[in-house]
Amino acid sequence: MTGLALRHIGKTFGQTRVLHDVSLEAGDGEFVVLLGPSGCGKSTLLRIIAGLERQTGGSVSIGGRCVDDVPPSERDIAMVFQHYALYPHFTVRENLAFGLKIRREPTPVIEERLAETASLLDIDNLLDRRPKELSGGQRQRVAMGRAIVRKPALFLFDEPLSNLDARLRASMRVELKKLHRRLGTTMVYVTHDQAEAMTLGHTIAIMNHGRIQQTGRPDRIYQEPGNPFVAGFIGNPPMNLFEGSYRLHPRDLEFRVGDLTVRIPFQAHDLVGTESGTATLGIRPEDVTFDPPGPRHVAIAGTIDLIENLGGDAVVYLTVKGQSLAARTVPGLRQHAGESVTAHWPMNALHLFINEHRVPLPSS
Amino acid sequence: MTNRPALLGGMLLAVLGSLCPFLWFVLTSFKSQIQVEAIPPTWWPDGSLAFYTSALVEHRLFHYVRNSVVVAGATTIIVLAVATPAAYALARLRLPGKAWILGGLLCVAMFPPIVMAGPVWQILERLGGLNTHWGLVLPYVSLSLPLAVWILTVFFQELPFELEEAARIDGCTTWQTLSKVLLPLATPGLFTAAILTFIYAWNEFFFALLILTNPDQQTLPVGIALFQGEFTMPWGEIAAASVVATLPLIIVVLLFQRGIINGLSAGAVKG
Repeated sequence: MTGLALRHIGKTFGQTRVLHDVSLEAGDGEFVVLLGPSGCGKSTLLRIIAGLERQTGGSVSIGGRCVDDVPPSERDIAMVFQHYALYPHFTVRENLAFGLKIRREPTPVIEERLAETASLLDIDNLLDRRPKELSGGQRQRVAMGRAIVRKPALFLFDEPLSNLDARLRASMRVELKKLHRRLGTTMVYVTHDQAEAMTLGHTIAIMNHGRIQQTGRPDRIYQEPGNPFVAGFIGNPPMNLFEGSYRLHPRDLEFRVGDLTVRIPFQAHDLVGTESGTATLGIRPEDVTFDPPGPRHVAIAGTIDLIENLGGDAVVYLTVKGQSLAARTVPGLRQHAGESVTAHWPMNALHLFINEHRVPLPSS
Repeated sequence: MTNRPALLGGMLLAVLGSLCPFLWFVLTSFKSQIQVEAIPPTWWPDGSLAFYTSALVEHRLFHYVRNSVVVAGATTIIVLAVATPAAYALARLRLPGKAWILGGLLCVAMFPPIVMAGPVWQILERLGGLNTHWGLVLPYVSLSLPLAVWILTVFFQELPFELEEAARIDGCTTWQTLSKVLLPLATPGLFTAAILTFIYAWNEFFFALLILTNPDQQTLPVGIALFQGEFTMPWGEIAAASVVATLPLIIVVLLFQRGIINGLSAGAVKG
């Protein structure tokens, strides 16, 4: 059974089109992350799933039932908002019980669910406090509790961790993952934080300009980004992308940007229709090394501009043949800023994009 | 930092300045007739309650208090009942020309009453509203609605929209969202609107004088003004009556002030 199915969702606000033909499926119990920069339409999509916003085209099904004309309260969903949206005039207990009371659940059921949720989230000792007496992390727990207590078929999260500091965010991320494993409910999670997306999601849907750019498993999206946007969005520091031109030769493809020329072993491919044109070449910073090259490596001399030591690893920014390049490496590089160095990368770590599409390169 | 004694002095001066007339008529109300007319004036009263007895018994003061309570109370209730949904709609719905509606309301609130006196009188005469309480409540409601709508609109606008959405997902109808979530959070706004409306209706003199000519219906301000005879000016009774007229206002404000503070302290929405 499908947990959630979005079919050809479109949305316009006045003259502005914010969603274009978005289709997405989430299996029962799956954790789907909508990831994208701010303004990409991911929150609007979540609000359409919740029924808080009406789509201009397409349809939404939850648990196999079309819910286009169903109000939010009857969609069997619960939502955790970015600013928690706890009722300030209620205690934690009343906040948790409110949805059940409105639905006229019998008191023993409410009490039982309340106790269950409170112990699950470890908020038993907070039940008689009001939201303003809680810390950010505690409010976050209560907000999740309010969603869990209703036992919905689908959880929706709208950037729930974005108001927390980095440390708390990391620990809440772990808890959220455990929580999902325990509950086994379908979850849709909106975020602009790629670390959250990579760690939480079974499936990530990357959005930009109101379109889904790529959907897939986190590792797959990382290893085989479908277009330059995804390539540049996933990874930290982002992938080095060079926009230049290509020319096909019988056995290889020559890529050129400024003074930098790279020849890549290449076999003819459907995606490359013409002999030459513009292309984008990408290399992840973690694939760039300063060790002596192995076979089928590209080696280019450059100058170090800056070294950022992050403790566990270091990011080296350098200029090679007039192009900026970032490399992630272990700290302790012998050279310093201003000195020359030779950067290497394996040929099979390159990513090539032509006409905004990934062109598979033969693996070595 | 700043000069504290000077600030304190300025504050005291302002408070004393505004309290002075009030203190003077409180003192006067406890004087005897001889003390009131004495030249040079005596400051400290001898504690006589003669003026109170006279105001309450001879001038039927409680009768006017009752009329004022009815008129001001009804005005406040009706204004809140109408202004709350109106303000909610103005704060939340995507209405065409919303700025014009709010601007128009402000214009109405700035109309000088004298401009409306003739038409209001004629309308009420046709409707049979002269010398009735509802005939007075009607213009009071229309004159105090704009301010109440403005105050409440601002309060509703400041409440986070997420709360309403959370309530909708929790299963609330629009009415439940308003009554269980938004109104409790807008209490400071409700109290402010209520106090201002009540004070306006309690003190209003012009329309009350125009519409109510029958002493049985008259409200406090008109009643007190008419204490004065053709050749007499009963200062003592007027002072006593003014004290009695002001007390309910002070009580109402103190009561509502607690509500305002409670409402404010409950308002913390996000962290």
